[in-house]
Amino acid sequence: MAALEVRGLRKQFGGVVALNGIDLDIDTDRVVGIVGPNGSGKTTLFNVVTGVHPATGGTVCWQGQDITNIGAHLIARKRLVRTFQQAMSFPGLTVNENVQIAWEQGRRGGSRWASPGMILDFVGLAPLGKAIAGSLPFGSLRRLGLAVALGVSPELLLLDEPGAGLNDSEAQAFAAVIAQLPPQGIGVCLIDHDMDMMADLCDRLVVLDFGTKIAEGPPAQVLADPKVREVYLGPDKTAAAP
Amino acid sequence: MPATDNSAGKMGAATEGTRASERLALLTADNASVPLPASVQAITAILLAALLIALPWLGLGYRFLSIAITTIYTAIGLYGLALQFGQAGIMSVGHAALMGIGAYTSAILSVQLGWGFWTTLPFAMAMSAIVGGVIGLPTLRVGGQHYIIITFCFCALFVIVLTNGGTFTGSATGLDVGSVTPLPGINFDKLSNNYYLVLAALFLALAATYLIGISRYGRTLRAIRENEQLARSVGINVDLHKLGVLMVSGLFAGLAGVLQLYYLRHISPTLFGAFPSLYLALMVMLGGARYLYGPLIGAIIVNFLPEVLNLDPVDSRIAYGVCLLLVILLLPGGVSAGIKNIYCAIAGGSEGQGGGSNGRA
Ligand SMILES: Nc1ncnc2c1ncn2[C@@H]1O[C@H](COP(=O)(O)OP(=O)(O)OP(=O)(O)O)[C@@H](O)[C@H]1O
Ligand SMILES: [Mg+2]
Repeated sequence: MAALEVRGLRKQFGGVVALNGIDLDIDTDRVVGIVGPNGSGKTTLFNVVTGVHPATGGTVCWQGQDITNIGAHLIARKRLVRTFQQAMSFPGLTVNENVQIAWEQGRRGGSRWASPGMILDFVGLAPLGKAIAGSLPFGSLRRLGLAVALGVSPELLLLDEPGAGLNDSEAQAFAAVIAQLPPQGIGVCLIDHDMDMMADLCDRLVVLDFGTKIAEGPPAQVLADPKVREVYLGPDKTAAAP
Repeated sequence: MPATDNSAGKMGAATEGTRASERLALLTADNASVPLPASVQAITAILLAALLIALPWLGLGYRFLSIAITTIYTAIGLYGLALQFGQAGIMSVGHAALMGIGAYTSAILSVQLGWGFWTTLPFAMAMSAIVGGVIGLPTLRVGGQHYIIITFCFCALFVIVLTNGGTFTGSATGLDVGSVTPLPGINFDKLSNNYYLVLAALFLALAATYLIGISRYGRTLRAIRENEQLARSVGINVDLHKLGVLMVSGLFAGLAGVLQLYYLRHISPTLFGAFPSLYLALMVMLGGARYLYGPLIGAIIVNFLPEVLNLDPVDSRIAYGVCLLLVILLLPGGVSAGIKNIYCAIAGGSEGQGGGSNGRA
């Protein structure tokens, strides 16, 4: 049985069906990637799983418990933690305080970090501890987002495009940090558009299109799948030359 | 924004004009979240406490001491407002009504059951806390702007209920109480003793505010103020804490209301209506809701300004309006932010972080 089990998950915004019956199993010992074109429902999947939006139908089970619609803060306390596509922080507070807030919440039932400082060291933000979060450059803000999520002592971390807006070297450094998580017992589920990085980093890829899962498996196999190629490259020659 | 300003300055390309505007930016910034050296905080606290304790001995006269008492019980109510607004980001423009709940609870218990100051105090505070929480319930469904309107409506409703409450609330005339039940050897009929009573309560309010500010609870409130969604996603029960902080704020308001009642010995509905409520909101913004001494400074300015400048009520209202505009435009962090920044400029010299007389994490 997988740690996170999503069954028949549906989400409708008015007439828009953002998730149309998603089934997904995620374990906490590896990196799972979620890819798909813009608007395919990746962020919505995270939002519904973590209780930001209520599900229209289907269930989410975490460690054997049904957590569908129980409320975002309760899900976080069960150590299923996410970051946001728009880099988020507590902008008026210092970097130290940002991480300390998360760490104090994650301490319920024991933290994997002895102090908030360890998290800052881990993501490489220690020298910026006294800076105000709102004044950080974008790359550091992304790191802070990760540090805040890690502060909650997650067992599974859902990262929504953590590399978006970073330059190549920043993105590579970030990928290196993410790769260190599963060996420490922090599962990662990652959304990103950078296929090369995803192929490198992920043990398994899930492809969404129009709220439906169209492919799943090892990266090489998924990227060779004609259905996936069609979604990403457009319909093959047949339609290309009318 | 500050980061880019500074780097421009370091490159040496800055003109005199940008230098000056940089300076101004430093003086008007709101850096409540940068803590001060512990020694500065301690010295400020000791000096302030000494000054406040010595006040009745300075021979400033009966009228001065009366205004001081008014200032202090107002400040106590403001510390509740500062907690909910400065820390948790929930503004209220009906806070006088919450003080009124405390004052009237105490007065009614005194008139109906003959209970004295000390016995009614806990009931009055509890009542203000409960009512604060109940008014807060709609905030969980609607946004902060709606809550402001709800508090204003509550305030108007409260006055109407009091005015039509017959002999139970004393209607428009209000209610009278006796003096504070004396403690062994201390008779609170003496003005200076009444002053020390409210001063003791102020010290409690200050201590509570300070301790909340540096505690995990304070950080939780600030997290909610800064980013509700992120707060939820790290496991904070945002709804519970919003209600909670409104109730804690109610405790302060109840205490302030009872002190007001026993200083004036007579209360009537107009004391707790829309105008006094707006004044409370004005004072907390003027002083600086995020700073430890902000509410006290705001209360001092508003209560002593007409006295010092010899203003009549209409003039003073205009003066307050001008003050508020100036503060909002120039000093978003309130007067405390200005004082802290001036201190930083004098003591720090170098850029980066420094101390100040009014800061707190
Ligand atoms: N809060 C919302 N209200 C209404 N519609 C929404 C909301 N959130 C998402 N949608 C819609 O749901 C669909 C899926 O959006 P979602 O943000 O999940 O896509 P995505 O795969 O994350 O895209 P991207 O790669 O651009 O981030 C889109 O059609 C979007 O317009
Ligand atoms: Mg998205």
